[in-house]
Amino acid sequence: MQIPQYKSNRKYGFNMTPMIDVVFLLIIFFLVSSHLSKQESQLELELPTASTGQDDVDQETPRLTINVQADGSMLLAGRPITKQQLESRFAEVRLKEGENIEVRIRGSRLTPYAAVEPIMLACTGAKIWNVTYAVYREAGR
Amino acid sequence: MRRKSPLVRRGGEVDIDSAMTPMIDVVFLLLVFFVWTASFQVVEHILPSKVSAQLGNDASTDVELPPPDDFDDVVVRIGWNGQTPTWKVNNQQVDSLAVVEQQLKVISSIEVGVPVILHPDPIVPLGHVIEAYDVAKVAGFNQVSFAVNPQVN
Repeated sequence: MQIPQYKSNRKYGFNMTPMIDVVFLLIIFFLVSSHLSKQESQLELELPTASTGQDDVDQETPRLTINVQADGSMLLAGRPITKQQLESRFAEVRLKEGENIEVRIRGSRLTPYAAVEPIMLACTGAKIWNVTYAVYREAGR
Repeated sequence: MRRKSPLVRRGGEVDIDSAMTPMIDVVFLLLVFFVWTASFQVVEHILPSKVSAQLGNDASTDVELPPPDDFDDVVVRIGWNGQTPTWKVNNQQVDSLAVVEQQLKVISSIEVGVPVILHPDPIVPLGHVIEAYDVAKVAGFNQVSFAVNPQVN
């Protein structure tokens, strides 16, 4: 029986396996941490469905995402906000980012419309005209 | 001195167990990597809507409606009877959202440039409001807007 023999003239070898190991661990670490930070800003909500929902491809436009929960409470940048504070906050951000700013309403499908109305009013008050709704896309009608 | 591979035991035998370990390690890492990157989350989409500061007419519901081919705008009222939504297209009761869609398609086939104004009651869940918005878009209308009550602030 032939017995395999490892013959090497090199004194020092370079083992790739631990390096690949470490590189993959780093990739997974960054992937997980970026995913978690994304989740932090995206509150889990039961969004409405719409067949005309479009892909979110525009990453350039400055955006304010406002989460509206089923009970009508609102969260802006992860912090609770009242409808009285909305307009001044919107105006502040518009002044900083310019008129091209987008306000994205992530509202639960169970949220009463009365909870969403103040957001649209605050947008008009702060002269923000670009309002989008986050939806899940359903099969075409 | 000649360096011996750590996998080769005394007598020239190869330690297969030790040779397999890094490979299994890497394969598992690859597996975890691809499982993680495969998204389990439902992808969110967006429904663009432009807001404007035009003032509406509170008394619009009391006004005599023009003939269907002479609409200035189409007002879709969305009510809520406690469990299900109710719809009115230009103040005429409509049985279901499918009928709303049919009526809107008929109007859009006559004139697509007519603005559609969705006027939901404050207690209507957002899901039904978005459904009506979606129906108006599917019917081919480009200008679909929401009516808001300025006194809610």
